[in-house]
Amino acid sequence: MLSCHGALKEMKGNTDFIFVLAGNPNVGKSSIFNRLTGMGVVTANYPGKTVELNMATTIFKDLRIGIIDLPGSYALGAVSEDQWVARRAVLDTNPDAAIMILDATNLARNLYMTLQFIDLGISIVAALNLIDEAEKRNIITDTEKLSELLEIPVVPTIATTGQGLDELIQKAVEVAGKKYEIKYNVRYGTDIETNIKRLEDLLSRYDFGISPRALALLLLEEDHEFVELVEKHAEGSFLIGEVKKISMDIQKKHGEKTPIRIARERHGLAGTIASQVQGDVTPAASDKIWAYTTSPLTGIPLLIGVLAVIFGFLFYGGNLLSTLFSDMWAEYMSPIIDGAIFAVFGSGHIGKTLIWGFDAGILAALAVGIPYVLTFYFLLAFLEDTGYLNSVAFLTDRLMHKFGLHGRAIIPLVAGAGCNVPAIIGTRVLTTMRERTIASTLITLIPCSARTAVILGAVSLFVGWKPAVAIYIIILGLVFFVGIGLNKVMPGSSSGLVMEMFPFRAPIISNILKKTWFRFKDFVFVAFPIVVIGSLVLGALYETGYLWKLAEPLAPVVEDWLGLPPVAGLTLIFAVLRKELALQLLVTFAVVQYGGGASNLLLFMSPTQLFVYALVNTIYIPCVATIAVLGRELGWRRAIGIMAFTIALAIIIGGLALRIIQYFHLL
Amino acid sequence: MEADNSRTEEYLESIYKLQEEQHPVSTSRLAEHLKLSAPSVSEMVKKLEVKGLVFHSEKGVCLTDDGKYLAKKVIRRHRLSERLLTDVLGFKWDEVHDEACRLEHAISPEMEDRIAESLGNPKTCPHGHPIPDKDGKLVKEKVKPLSELKAREKGIIVNVFEEDPKMLKYLASLGLMPDVCVKVEEVAPFGGPLIVCVAGSRYALGREVASKIKVK
Repeated sequence: MLSCHGALKEMKGNTDFIFVLAGNPNVGKSSIFNRLTGMGVVTANYPGKTVELNMATTIFKDLRIGIIDLPGSYALGAVSEDQWVARRAVLDTNPDAAIMILDATNLARNLYMTLQFIDLGISIVAALNLIDEAEKRNIITDTEKLSELLEIPVVPTIATTGQGLDELIQKAVEVAGKKYEIKYNVRYGTDIETNIKRLEDLLSRYDFGISPRALALLLLEEDHEFVELVEKHAEGSFLIGEVKKISMDIQKKHGEKTPIRIARERHGLAGTIASQVQGDVTPAASDKIWAYTTSPLTGIPLLIGVLAVIFGFLFYGGNLLSTLFSDMWAEYMSPIIDGAIFAVFGSGHIGKTLIWGFDAGILAALAVGIPYVLTFYFLLAFLEDTGYLNSVAFLTDRLMHKFGLHGRAIIPLVAGAGCNVPAIIGTRVLTTMRERTIASTLITLIPCSARTAVILGAVSLFVGWKPAVAIYIIILGLVFFVGIGLNKVMPGSSSGLVMEMFPFRAPIISNILKKTWFRFKDFVFVAFPIVVIGSLVLGALYETGYLWKLAEPLAPVVEDWLGLPPVAGLTLIFAVLRKELALQLLVTFAVVQYGGGASNLLLFMSPTQLFVYALVNTIYIPCVATIAVLGRELGWRRAIGIMAFTIALAIIIGGLALRIIQYFHLL
Repeated sequence: MEADNSRTEEYLESIYKLQEEQHPVSTSRLAEHLKLSAPSVSEMVKKLEVKGLVFHSEKGVCLTDDGKYLAKKVIRRHRLSERLLTDVLGFKWDEVHDEACRLEHAISPEMEDRIAESLGNPKTCPHGHPIPDKDGKLVKEKVKPLSELKAREKGIIVNVFEEDPKMLKYLASLGLMPDVCVKVEEVAPFGGPLIVCVAGSRYALGREVASKIKVK
């Protein structure tokens, strides 16, 4: 993942103009971005932030134009991560123009952020998008008048068909080339303006790298980032003192806190402008069909159905594809790769190690990547784009709240039962690192299809279905208590849920495919190398015989505490590559020890041992692909923490299970 | 004595107003509100405690029943003065606060009665805040948390008791602030979130957030 500072700098050097695309969530901003740009999209983020920036370069009439897609947000403050990232990117790039995408069906709310851009003194061009939707609802906008009132160019657009986009970029180029002068005469109430002016005059003697009026407003809004900036100045305490005095005057006069007063003035102005250009339309916010997804009576059965479909899709569809893929690989690719490696490196340690990495390793990554990750991304993008994800969040918020999460976390958690890898990437729908860490830890505990294969193949087949169900119950209990525990232990608290419920929008298939591809590409570039390197290391240890020496210190844990045969401990280590490998290797070792035909594992291990084995295999660190994704998504410190935690948990629970079973003679 | 009296009244009034947002009121907050230094404020608070008008603990200051009564009397005189200034003397409503601050300490009980009578016993000040009655009673509007509304019920936001300024500003940027009309569209079961409709947009609000928003 690129850092924003580097990526923004590079783009600045390579282009004639830089435009940022700004707007509220779900107004068609990413459709416009996709239409304006090709496939060469770069994704970058600020250190420690989960919200990403997409950027791309496009050519318009011989001009190289860099376009940065800001995260959709309702305002430009610093109160949430999406807002922070949007504003930081604007201040860092100092764009030649900001293209503000407005939803014509909900103009007043959209104008709020437009006014903030004007207040920041940034040259803007507005795209009045969704005019087709608005017309369906009899909302007609006088764009010329809107342009006059805001004193910025306004272009009506329909993102889904691309209508108006050429003119939009043309206007943005004119604004950037200063051919169109923007006057910034938007003003609030007289009293507020007088006070802003007082502060502006005072601040105009200093240089904080931002216009005095913009700074005056930000300080009065008690924006902590800018308050801190001013405090650091030599005369900072004097200036902040003056800000407080002026703020107190506003507060006394209007009977409410200054930041709230300014928000009210801005809403008021936005509302006035909207009603001047559209007449008094009350936007039809509620959708009759969509209401069924949030009404408990119809919404909960629907939710259970949707979750079942996702699970089924990943479990059966994913497994089918995965098997197909593995078989095809074994049939066609393996012989070629193995042949080539043996031909060049011979069949010694080096050759065999390379086969671990480039045959087994690539297969491991592909067998997870394409069937599970790709299909899940597609489903997730579909749920996001229709707005159904928010209905899900609404219904499950209460349950998830116990774990310090909010409702959106249910989708990745359920997806984890198919495959942990896409599930962990799916936690991007959560906004804070705290939520993502909790959700990812819980996901690693959820048995994915590979671990289910081990539970079914080892326990259900040889011990009985009841112990197999018991394993699932133990795991669910663990997920529940670990969730509550993490919520208590981790610093911070879950932020209250405040989320817009979008009206239903028909998804655009090309957008969904593009979104799926960008995310999948990311997975391929990050996870593949790690899986291949991990496989090479494991292979080298095995082929050179060091693995047996490394396994020796584990004997007390594996044999004494967990009561497993030493060989079983070894298979658990190998299972890091792919979890179902544990079972396959176990059968192989059984065959080695007892000769051919000894595929009955009960000859080799007792029912209790098989139960403990499957339980430990389910809980301890997920496979190498999951580790790669954890490291990439949460950073290596957290990834290692989660790994250590799950190993400890697996050993503790496994040992306890053994003793409880022996004491009560359960198996 | 006269100056001392008006200072007491000034303090009581400030503590009363600040109590509405923070209870008890820290001395530093009080000092900021009165634009005085912290040491002089704590000295005055001690004097008020001796008079039995406030309690003072480590957390801050709160009014005793006597203190509350006196504070409401001052607020009554302040808001009546504001009415007098706008209704009779033709001041604009955003000009009267400072004038009323000076007037409120100079009004005798008899004058207070006469002003109220001649203005027709107004219920609110020019800014819309309620005027306590002669006995210092404040007719409180029936206010309840947004989370107690049922689906399809409407309310007007009276106050947002959110301590986190970030959340408060976030809510304000979405238009969730005092004097705004909200309609509850859906309530999730088992104490889950609510869907509210504000100015044409729909938002899901968690229970914790909704319980901090008071509506009438």
